[in-house]
Amino acid sequence: MSDAAIAGGVAVLVTVAVIAIAWPFVAPQRGQRDAVLSREDRRRIDLLERRDAAYAGLRELEQDHRTGKLSNDDYEAERRRLRAEAAEVLRELDALDSKPGERADAPREV
Amino acid sequence: MATFGTAALFVTFVLAVYATGAAVLAARRRDRRLMQSASNALTAAFGTTLAATFALLIALARHDFSIRTVADTTSLQLPWQYTLSAFWASQEGSLLLWLTVLTGASALVMFQNRRRNRELLPWVAAVLGGITVFFSGMLSFVSQPFQQVSGPPPANGAGLDPALQNPYMVAHPPMLYLGYVTVAVPFAFAMAALISGRVDSRWLVAVRRWTLFSWMCLGVGMLLGAHWAYVEIGWGGYWAWDPVENAALMPWLAATAFLHSVMVQEKKGMLKVWNVVLVTATFSLALFGTFLTRSGVVGSIHAFVQSSVGPALLGFIAVVLAFAVTLIVWRLPILRSEHRLESVVSREATFLFNNLLLLAFAFAILWGVVFPILSEAVRGVQSTVSTPYYNFFLVAFGLPLLLLTGIGPLVAWRKASVNSLARTFRWPALSALAAGALLALLGLGSSTAGLTAFSLCVFVTITIGLEFARGMSARRAIAGTSWPRSLVDLIGRNRRRYGGYVVHLAVVLLVVGITASSAYSTASEATLGPGQSMRVAGYTLTYAGLTRSSDTNSTTTSAVLDVSRNGNRLGSLSPGQRIYPVEGRSTNEVDIQRSMLTGTDLYTILQGISKDGRSVTVKALVNPAVSLIWVAGAVFLLGALITIWPDPREARQLARRYAAALAREA
Repeated sequence: MSDAAIAGGVAVLVTVAVIAIAWPFVAPQRGQRDAVLSREDRRRIDLLERRDAAYAGLRELEQDHRTGKLSNDDYEAERRRLRAEAAEVLRELDALDSKPGERADAPREV
Repeated sequence: MATFGTAALFVTFVLAVYATGAAVLAARRRDRRLMQSASNALTAAFGTTLAATFALLIALARHDFSIRTVADTTSLQLPWQYTLSAFWASQEGSLLLWLTVLTGASALVMFQNRRRNRELLPWVAAVLGGITVFFSGMLSFVSQPFQQVSGPPPANGAGLDPALQNPYMVAHPPMLYLGYVTVAVPFAFAMAALISGRVDSRWLVAVRRWTLFSWMCLGVGMLLGAHWAYVEIGWGGYWAWDPVENAALMPWLAATAFLHSVMVQEKKGMLKVWNVVLVTATFSLALFGTFLTRSGVVGSIHAFVQSSVGPALLGFIAVVLAFAVTLIVWRLPILRSEHRLESVVSREATFLFNNLLLLAFAFAILWGVVFPILSEAVRGVQSTVSTPYYNFFLVAFGLPLLLLTGIGPLVAWRKASVNSLARTFRWPALSALAAGALLALLGLGSSTAGLTAFSLCVFVTITIGLEFARGMSARRAIAGTSWPRSLVDLIGRNRRRYGGYVVHLAVVLLVVGITASSAYSTASEATLGPGQSMRVAGYTLTYAGLTRSSDTNSTTTSAVLDVSRNGNRLGSLSPGQRIYPVEGRSTNEVDIQRSMLTGTDLYTILQGISKDGRSVTVKALVNPAVSLIWVAGAVFLLGALITIWPDPREARQLARRYAAALAREA
C-alpha cells in the first residue's frame, strides 16, 4: 500500500468521523432538549408496572390452576389478592391522573 | 496497511473519548443534539474499528510478515482458513476482536434505542464509551496489533499453534467473544438505571434479549470448545477445568442466575439490588476471563505469554467494581423491594435458591482459579487446584440445582400448599425413585452421584413433560385445537417459559452425557504388534499396520485398527500423530467411532510408535452416551432461540405501558 493510499484512507476515516459527530449540530432538527420524567411520571410507570404484573399474575394463576398446580382454595385466595392489588393500583392511577394540572393530555389507558 | 490500521485504531480511541464526554454532558444538559453526536461517534467508532479489523485480515491474507502479529501466528504453508482465524490466535488480534464486537454492539444499541429509553441512553452511551476508551486505548498504546517486526521481515512466519488448527477454533473463539463482550450491554443499562435513578423494570426489558444472547453465545461457545478439546487435544475428555474454560463458565453461571432472578423482579418487584449485583458480577467475571486469557498469569493451553495487558485489565476490573458498588450503595434507598418473600415454598424462593447455588458454584470456581495466583503471590510457590476440587463442587451444587430445575416450574408463585405440592410432585418423584431403583439393579450403583444425577434427570424430564402435556391440554380445552397446533400455540403464547423448559431439557441431556461418560467410562492401553489385539468394554481392536499421509503443512502417521464387537466387524479406526515442520510441534490425532443408537464413543489415541516402527502403543476409551452432550448443545440453542425470539404481543404491551412516559420524552 503506497503512502498516498494510506494517507487517503486515513483522511477518509477522519472526515467521516468528523461529519458523524458534527452532523447533529448542523442538520435541522426538532427540539434540542429532552424533557425529563417528573416525579408523577415515574410514579405512573411504577403503578403501570404493578398493574401489568398483577394482570400477568392473574393469567399465570389461571394457567397454574388449569394445569393442577394449585388447589381450588389456594387459587381462590390468590385470585382475590391479585384482583384486590390490581384494583388498588387502578385507583391510585385514577387518582394520579385526576390531579388538577397533571397529565390532562395523557391517555387514560396506556 | 500497518500504518492505516494503527491510525484507524487511534481514531477509534479519539471517537470513544469524545462519545463518553459528550454523552455525559448530554445527560446532564438533556441536550438531544449532543446525545445524537455521541451516538454517532460510537457508531463511527465501530466503522473505524472495522477498518482496522479488515486491515489486519488483509495483512494476514497477504502474509505480511513485516507485522509481528502475522509473523508470529501464520506461515506460508498454513491453510487459508487458519490463516484468517489466526486473527484471534494472538493477544493483540483477540483484543481487536473484543473491540470490534464491543463497538458493533454499542452501535446496535444506539440504533435500537434511537427513539426510546431517552432518559437511560446517554448514560448507556457513556458507559459503553468508557469501556471502548479502555480497550481502544490498550490497542493503541499497550498491545498494538500492527506493530512491526524489528529488522527485515522474515521469509516465513512461525506458524500457528497446531492445537488451534482445527475447524472448531474458527467458530469457538468468536462465539465466546460475542458472549463475553455483549455482557457489557446489560451492564451499561444497569449502570444507566442507577445513575439516572430510573430503576423500574424498563432497563430489564431493554437488556433481556441482550443478556439471553450473551448467555446463549457463552453456552454454545463453551460446548464448541469442549468438542474441540475432545477431538483435538487427545486425552479422551472434553472439560479439564482449565482456567480459561472456567473463565467462560463463571460469567455464564452468573448470567443464568440473572435470567432467573429478573423474572422475580418483573413479577414481584423484588431482588432489585440483587439483579444489579448479578449484572455487575457477570460483566466483571467476563472481564476477569479476558484477564485470565490475556495476562498469562495462569498456566493454560489457551493463555498467552506473560504480557503488559494483565495489570491494565486488572486495574480496569477494579475500576468497574468500584464504580458499580458506589452506584449501588448510592441508590440503595430506591432499590427497596416492593414485596417480601412470603414462603420458602414458592417459585420466587426456588429462583432465589437457584441463584444462591449458581453464585456459590461460580465463586467456588473463582477461588479455584485465583488460589494458585494468590498462593504464588503470598508464598512464592504456585499451587494447583486439581479436578477433584471442582468435581466436588460440581456435585455439591450441581445436584441441588438439578433438583430445583424440576421443582421450580411446578411450584406456584407466592406460596404453595402441601396438598398441591404432594399432588403435583407425586408422579415425577415416583418415576425418579423407580428409575433410580431400576438403574441400581442394572449395576449402575457404582457411582452414588451418578445414580442420583440420573434419577434427578428423570424427575426433571417428567416435570417438563407434564408441563407441556398439561399446558397443551388446557389450550385444547380453551381453543379446541389439535395437539400439534396446541403445542405451537402454547410455545408461541409464552416463549420465555416454554423456551426455558427446552433449555432445561438440554441441561438434562448434558447431565446424562457428562455423568455417563465420566462416571461409567472404560479405558485400556496396550502395546500392539501387527495382528495383535486389545479389548475394551466389549470391543476388540486389532492392529493392522501404519499409514502415512501429508498435506501442505503437516505429515501424519496413523495406526490402522480393525474394530469388531462380538465377532462382528465394525470398521476401522486410524488414530495418528501429526508433525508440523514449520511450527516444530506434533499433535495426537484421535479417531472416534460413534454409535448413533446409544451415543457411545469408541475413542482411540495413538500414544506412541516404537523406534523400529514395528509396534504401537494405543489407548482406547469407551465413553457411554457422550454424544448426548453435543445433542444437548443443539437443544440448548433451540431453547435459547425460542426464548429470544421477539414476541409482538409483549412488545405491544410494553409500548402501551410506557406510552405516557414516551409521549413526554418524544
